[in-house]
Amino acid sequence: MVWYSVLEATAYYLGLIMIFVGGVLDIIAAIGMHRFKNFYMRLHAATIGTIGGTFYPLIGAGLVALTMHWIGVMKYYVAGISFTAAFFLLITAPVGSHALAQGAHKSRTVLPEPAIVDRLLEDEEKGGVEK
Amino acid sequence: MEFIPGPTITVDILGAALMLFVIASIIYFIRLVKGPSVPDMVLAIDVLSYDLVVFIILFSMMCNSPLLAVGALPLMLWAFLLDMYVSKYLMKRELGD
Repeated sequence: MVWYSVLEATAYYLGLIMIFVGGVLDIIAAIGMHRFKNFYMRLHAATIGTIGGTFYPLIGAGLVALTMHWIGVMKYYVAGISFTAAFFLLITAPVGSHALAQGAHKSRTVLPEPAIVDRLLEDEEKGGVEK
Repeated sequence: MEFIPGPTITVDILGAALMLFVIASIIYFIRLVKGPSVPDMVLAIDVLSYDLVVFIILFSMMCNSPLLAVGALPLMLWAFLLDMYVSKYLMKRELGD
């Protein structure tokens, strides 16, 4: 069963690489949350922290957990939770970010300050777009 | 034929990976405290809870106790719920049903 060992080793090392790449991307996103000036720019850093810093490590943790023989059958439990959490993250995180940006702009809580023109704001004040 | 290392080396590698997420969580927490407006704080809470999900799953793999990983999935859905409620409150000034 050499092919099974090769498959297992591939899953193990690919999972570890994904976990470490995700950790580095998470630190990059955390630095970006401080270096961007505006809320709408910080959304981009939060996207890196979400997809790069959470989706990749969850897939990697699931792949590593599939090769852990020393915890017995419960390895499928951890792997299933990891893959399910990654799937739901991929669905819900962009929807949440868009909803937050829409709420922040329509309530005028945060405005894009260094902006040349804001057509959406002009249309809302003119009455073209329903506020 | 075994190509993968045993439990002890895997636990050490996972602990080293856990440190990256802890450092990132500390930097996110500074943004949560400093955040000039409410959406900034909510964004920081979102990413912090996503980091906590990864932390819980890696920690349960380190401790060889898979039942610790149960709390990861509701935590992730809770972050989405927080986004929705805060955006609805900012737009309509009420919490709704």
